[in-house]
Amino acid sequence: MRKILHVARREFAATVLTKGFIIGMLVTPAVIGVVVIVFPRMINRNPPRIVGEIAVIDPTGRVSDTLREYLRPERFLERRRALQRRASEALPGAWKKAAGSPAAEAAVQQQVEAALGQVPQIDVVVLNAATDLEQAKAPLRAAGGGESRRLALVVVHPDAVHREEGKQRFGSYDLFVHGKLDDRLEDDIRNGLREAIVEARIRAYGLNRDEIEALTSVERLPSRMVTEEGERDTSRALNLLLPAAFMVLLLISVMTSGQYLLTSTVEEKSNRVVEVLLSAVSPMELMTGKILGQMAVGFLVLAVYAGLGAVALLSFAMLGLLDPVLIVCMFVFFVLAYFTIGSFMAATGSAVNELREAQTLMTPVMLLIMIPWILWLPISREPNSLLAVVLSFVPPVGNFVVLLRMASSAPPPMWQVGLSMLSSAAGAAVALWFAAKVFRIGLLMFGKPPSLGTLIRWARMS
Amino acid sequence: MGDAIVLRNVTKTFGDIVAVRDLDLVVPQGALYGFIGPNGAGKTTTIRMILSIMFPDRGELSVLGKRSALEAKDRIGYLPEERGLYKKMRVADFLVYVGRLKGVDGSGLKQRVHEWLERVGLAAAASKRCEELSKGMQQKVQFVAAVIHRPDLLILDEPFSGLDPVSQRLVRELVLEEHGRGCTVLFSTHIMVHAEQLCDRVVMIHKGAKVLDETIAAIRARFDPRSLIFEPLDPAADVAPLEAVAGVKKVRRDGAAWEIALAQGADAAAVIRSLAGAVAPARIELRRPTLEDVFVGIVEGGALQAGDEGARLRASVRDDGEMPAAKP
Repeated sequence: MRKILHVARREFAATVLTKGFIIGMLVTPAVIGVVVIVFPRMINRNPPRIVGEIAVIDPTGRVSDTLREYLRPERFLERRRALQRRASEALPGAWKKAAGSPAAEAAVQQQVEAALGQVPQIDVVVLNAATDLEQAKAPLRAAGGGESRRLALVVVHPDAVHREEGKQRFGSYDLFVHGKLDDRLEDDIRNGLREAIVEARIRAYGLNRDEIEALTSVERLPSRMVTEEGERDTSRALNLLLPAAFMVLLLISVMTSGQYLLTSTVEEKSNRVVEVLLSAVSPMELMTGKILGQMAVGFLVLAVYAGLGAVALLSFAMLGLLDPVLIVCMFVFFVLAYFTIGSFMAATGSAVNELREAQTLMTPVMLLIMIPWILWLPISREPNSLLAVVLSFVPPVGNFVVLLRMASSAPPPMWQVGLSMLSSAAGAAVALWFAAKVFRIGLLMFGKPPSLGTLIRWARMS
Repeated sequence: MGDAIVLRNVTKTFGDIVAVRDLDLVVPQGALYGFIGPNGAGKTTTIRMILSIMFPDRGELSVLGKRSALEAKDRIGYLPEERGLYKKMRVADFLVYVGRLKGVDGSGLKQRVHEWLERVGLAAAASKRCEELSKGMQQKVQFVAAVIHRPDLLILDEPFSGLDPVSQRLVRELVLEEHGRGCTVLFSTHIMVHAEQLCDRVVMIHKGAKVLDETIAAIRARFDPRSLIFEPLDPAADVAPLEAVAGVKKVRRDGAAWEIALAQGADAAAVIRSLAGAVAPARIELRRPTLEDVFVGIVEGGALQAGDEGARLRASVRDDGEMPAAKP
């Protein structure tokens, strides 16, 4: 037992105290950080500044003025600020507080001023109702164009504001756009036209717009999740993402430590250090020590990432979303999944001469592990479907699937969790047995890389 | 004193190949045994079975009085033929690790590692990574790893392969020192000269079967070729008078010298005196059998001959340690 611990300790230290590991541990959060924080800024900060004109043929004579008003730069800015305000209101507690601080307000103000120069500068040109349509479209065809290039041509239908006799529906408008018109500007144009036409219609029929808006809108308030512990805001995105986060965490930790186990076993074999070790410890002790050592590495990965996740949730004041039972289960599932996959990795590592040869043997395992990843959406949407239930009991996939289901909005009954753990434990035991057999034979075999069939034959030998 | 290693009728096959066939081997405690034979004779397989790294298909073995080496691992030192180090590990850390695996504990271990590194001239390399060492230095570290726990039984598989002559001498001294401490040593080599220089006794195997198991002295007596080497003072001298000396059976040219076969029952001392009188000698010596001769003789069916097969066999056991060594 003491020897096993010595092997485990070396294995752990040799893995964790390398630059590769430390950088690897930091890279993943860094990449997530880049994706979440930096990318959106890079995308939003510099929208292309649009300058140009929009031509309007307006037989009703009542649409173009409102449209022009709608497309003024100041109005663009107002709409953007309103959007920002709505977005920050949707943010959860702590974040909102930060966003509402004076410093943040000042930063927002600065951004707004900078953005003023970036909002589209649109001229609305009203063409004579009798203008030839083809002639009006011609500037749209011109490639490129200078400052005052035509971006779009709007042809308002004559019955857009006044319904024709005997017709149920109002007329609309035709929109012709330049080939390279930004789709966001097209949305703005359409919104402006809708606004202008509705305004004109309401006025034409002598109605009160505010009254109509009040009548037709029902405020959509956020739903509240009621649980035994109390109430809290529901978050749809989190309901979908949280299970995935758990599963990915499990997958990352299992694969990281499994991969290290494979690499270190192949290294020991190809370095020819293995026979020195075998004169001091039995193959079983060596394998157990290595598996335990790398399990500690997996625990470290799991603890660091789970800790980071908890800190992130804490900063959003959403720590309540984390169920401690779920975290305990995650560690249990980690152990089970790791033993299954780790055993196979150790066996593979012992059987091959170099890492390249291991890839062929690893492919089926990798595919197996990818199943829950591929089925993430169907399983988290329908956590109790037949597929999800059946997969829960198939080791080593079951661990991932059950965790996904447990973190979803409709957790499986506890007996299923228990049964899944049992089946995984049985799977892990079989994998360990298999690995022990292969490991003993494989370690001292050099030469032609074995196939999966050879490994199975070794396991059945002796 | 008991026997350190006992093998009885041990057989090991790999598929159709019989690697070791009905091998009997007894190594008494405190002995220095050479385990010799050409490459592929079954030496490494036998050693691995002694160490319980492999298990025999048939037969019994005991090591240091135990049924399996697994029960006595901490008392055995082993230098495998295929040996390596952890590339990224520091030399002293590696030796401490191996020492711990061998059951040595406490602060004394670090001190011991330090002393050993000093002994083999690697004190300055203690904190270097193993990959930074030269091949010869790595071999020394591996040797230290085999003896760091002061084993009662030391098994060395081709300990001299890949070593330069200076390192070979150092390892030879260290082996003799371990032996002097009371450690039983079994070492394998395919280079017979190494065995001749070191051992009290050799076991020779060929194609998995034991063909010889005797002390060096007994081998010399048994395989005495009963011939002399005679080198005349004047290289151009006429050697015809030599044939006339009583007790001389035949005179045959052997390079710059002459090989003189003695007749049955002839007294070597008397013949030497007469030869010196017949032709002025630069050198006269009694030819002693080398293990190489013995080996070739045994394999080829008794007589010492020098055919093509003999030359091939000789070449296989005469490499001077400059063999391409195992990849690090």
